[in-house]
Amino acid sequence: MRRPTPAVCLALAAFALTAVAGLAAANPAHDPVERGRQLYGASCAGCHGQSGEGFMTSPSLRGVGAASADFQLSTGRMPLSAPDARPHPREPAFDHQDIAALTAFVASLGGGPQVPAVGPGDPRKGRTLYLASCASCHSASGVGAALPGGGAAPSLLNTKPTQVAEAVRLGPGAMPAFDTKTLTEAEVNSIIAYIGTVRDEFRHGGAAIGGAGPVPEGLVAWVIGLGVLILVILFLGRRAS
Amino acid sequence: MIARWVRRKLEEKLRVSRWGLRKLDERLRIASVVREAVAKVFPDHWSFMLGEIALYAFVSLLLTGTFLAFFFDPSSGERIYAGDYAGLHNSRVSAAYASAVELSFDVRGGLLVRQTHHWAALIFVAAIVTHMLRNFFTGAFRRPRELNWIIGVTLLVLAIANGFAGYSLPDDLLSGTGLRIANSIALSMPIVGTWAAFLLFGGEFPGESIIPRLYILHVLLLPGLIAALIGAHMGILIRQKHTHFAGPGRNDHNVVGSKMWPTYAFRSFALLSALFAVTFALGGLVQINPVWLWGPFDPGTASAPAQPDWFMGWLEGALRLYPPIEFTVFGYLVPAPFVPGVLLPGLTFAIMYVWPWLDRLITKDRAAHHLLDRPRHSPARMAVGVWALSFYGLLLLAGSDDVLADLMGLPVLTVMKTMRIVVIVVPFLFAAAAYALARALRANPEQRLSGLRWKQIRKSDVVEEETRHGGS
Ligand code: HEC
Ligand code: HEC
Repeated sequence: MRRPTPAVCLALAAFALTAVAGLAAANPAHDPVERGRQLYGASCAGCHGQSGEGFMTSPSLRGVGAASADFQLSTGRMPLSAPDARPHPREPAFDHQDIAALTAFVASLGGGPQVPAVGPGDPRKGRTLYLASCASCHSASGVGAALPGGGAAPSLLNTKPTQVAEAVRLGPGAMPAFDTKTLTEAEVNSIIAYIGTVRDEFRHGGAAIGGAGPVPEGLVAWVIGLGVLILVILFLGRRAS
Repeated sequence: MIARWVRRKLEEKLRVSRWGLRKLDERLRIASVVREAVAKVFPDHWSFMLGEIALYAFVSLLLTGTFLAFFFDPSSGERIYAGDYAGLHNSRVSAAYASAVELSFDVRGGLLVRQTHHWAALIFVAAIVTHMLRNFFTGAFRRPRELNWIIGVTLLVLAIANGFAGYSLPDDLLSGTGLRIANSIALSMPIVGTWAAFLLFGGEFPGESIIPRLYILHVLLLPGLIAALIGAHMGILIRQKHTHFAGPGRNDHNVVGSKMWPTYAFRSFALLSALFAVTFALGGLVQINPVWLWGPFDPGTASAPAQPDWFMGWLEGALRLYPPIEFTVFGYLVPAPFVPGVLLPGLTFAIMYVWPWLDRLITKDRAAHHLLDRPRHSPARMAVGVWALSFYGLLLLAGSDDVLADLMGLPVLTVMKTMRIVVIVVPFLFAAAAYALARALRANPEQRLSGLRWKQIRKSDVVEEETRHGGS
């Protein structure tokens, strides 16, 4: 078979591009806010009201800003399954583009903080800050832990940098919100850099068995360590008699 | 021609070395001892090798520990960590912590040996406990072996103490939390508390002295004691001969099994190899105590969940469950940690020490025994053992109440309050069940636990009565 010439390739590419551009121009939903309004009407308005005014347990979305919407949607907390359900992180219900559209729409309802930008940080400073401000709930290894008053702080190992920056300022659920006086933007960047280090080194030295310390370690020592050795002596004893 | 010459030379050499050995033996008198040891008979039942697992774990600990000692710096003095770990690079931390992280990131093979050492420590204590349970349930502690039982309990105490000391050395956040608890337990002792805490820590907590002190305990005093007591334990074992299970041709005066050389020696060497294989495999494949994640100890920070190693976990559980009650005795205030932190372990080990004599009270049997009981032989002993196993097991579980709560999605407080009741009630239920089962099994000696029928459990007292009457 003959390979297509470069000219043919170019022509094909140009055709494809014009076709996509034409489709996009014909579709009003290409405007993010407009697309967001549609999605909002279908998935959110039932709880938060037609124009985000809030209803019963569902808070008003006016002025919560892009940061809150992006956090709630990208961590899969929203849309909630029931008005009195407890939000928790899971697979997001929307793809990247739809989240951007919904976020743009919620932001258009009025003001509020922007989605924060995350810059490079110093993992060393981040370690000190993380251990001092976050480890008591999320555990030193970042795997999360139960809270004394019920509920749990989730694992941070799969949380994206932007989501961490958002969570620190928003303080979702039982988590306190940290303002810029308590943790500066540079400090938040450092915490994020440190969480990255923890994630990179999570399996340093072998299987991390939950990252929860002596409890799983004791279990492994008894069941696998001593367990295998007892099988060995059972075998040796059987060979002997 | 040449062959004959070679043979003559060899025979000459042999004569000379035999002569040398004889002269040596005239002075050391060792041949009879060796002959006796080589001819010593070991029982073949697998459960006699549990103690050997502990012995070889100790060997593994000595070897890996020596390697660690080349690199570990037991000092609270601060210095800069200049190694590869990004989260700590160029930070000022204690030399102990810095060198523990260096062992984990910068010393070739360091992490493998560190982890192997820690796994071997967990297995060491687990093997001691299992070995002790075998001796308990088969009555191996009875006359004339009370002394070896006492040495065994002491070895358990020393192993736990050494485990705690070693675990506390890296000066990380988790071990610092453990030391703070140890400090508050020491302080809780009436009258001598403050004095004891100051003696241990050389001043206010945390102070500069505790790490070097724990280090000397961990690498010299406690292992030295353990090694000496293991020597005594085995010397007595050889002197008294092994016990063995009853069977055809077995009685109180013989031991049926394999000779030390060559059969048993090879079997034992196989176990030594297996122990090294298992501890090094765990050390290489499964992370343990990632001190770089816990961070250096800092009294101002905390991480949750925070547990000690399993062999201290039952104490942690008791401390968590015990309500914050303080009371006064003879005008002295007894703070809350005293009961779970001092009284409970004190009573526990005291009862373990005197168990051979308590057992005489229960079974009314003061005779010497070289044949082992089957576990079913004494339902009362079985009930006590099962009570203790479940009580301390549940305390261990309660020590991880926050991990449980996370797994079950319940509030920690609910789990804790439930465990308070469970720890008191459930061991008695288990003990009662064990008593009934042991009695039924005793009445049906050929029966196994899995084949036991409900009718046999209910009727076991009747059957026992009948056999007793039939016998008289
Ligand atoms: C089943 C009802 C329900 C649905 C559907 C729902 N929400 Fe919510 N939403 C809630 C409730 C209830 C809360 C308050 C949660 C809490 O306890 O923190 C909330 C909180 C929020 C917040 C945080 C507000 C703040 O104060 O920062 C945002 C943003 C949000 N929702 C966006 C959305 C979007 C966007 C959708 C549609 C994709 C959506 N929600 C669908 C019930 C709902
Ligand atoms: C008092 C305990 C507490 C502290 C301290 C705390 N958190 Fe949280 N955090 C929580 C809880 C609880 C949640 C879950 C909130 C919910 O119900 O949605 C959470 C959620 C989060 C999330 C969202 C995770 C996800 O995937 O959805 C991030 C990111 C986060 N925390 C980061 C931090 C950081 C960074 C710090 C330190 C600066 C910190 N937290 C301190 C309790 C805490």
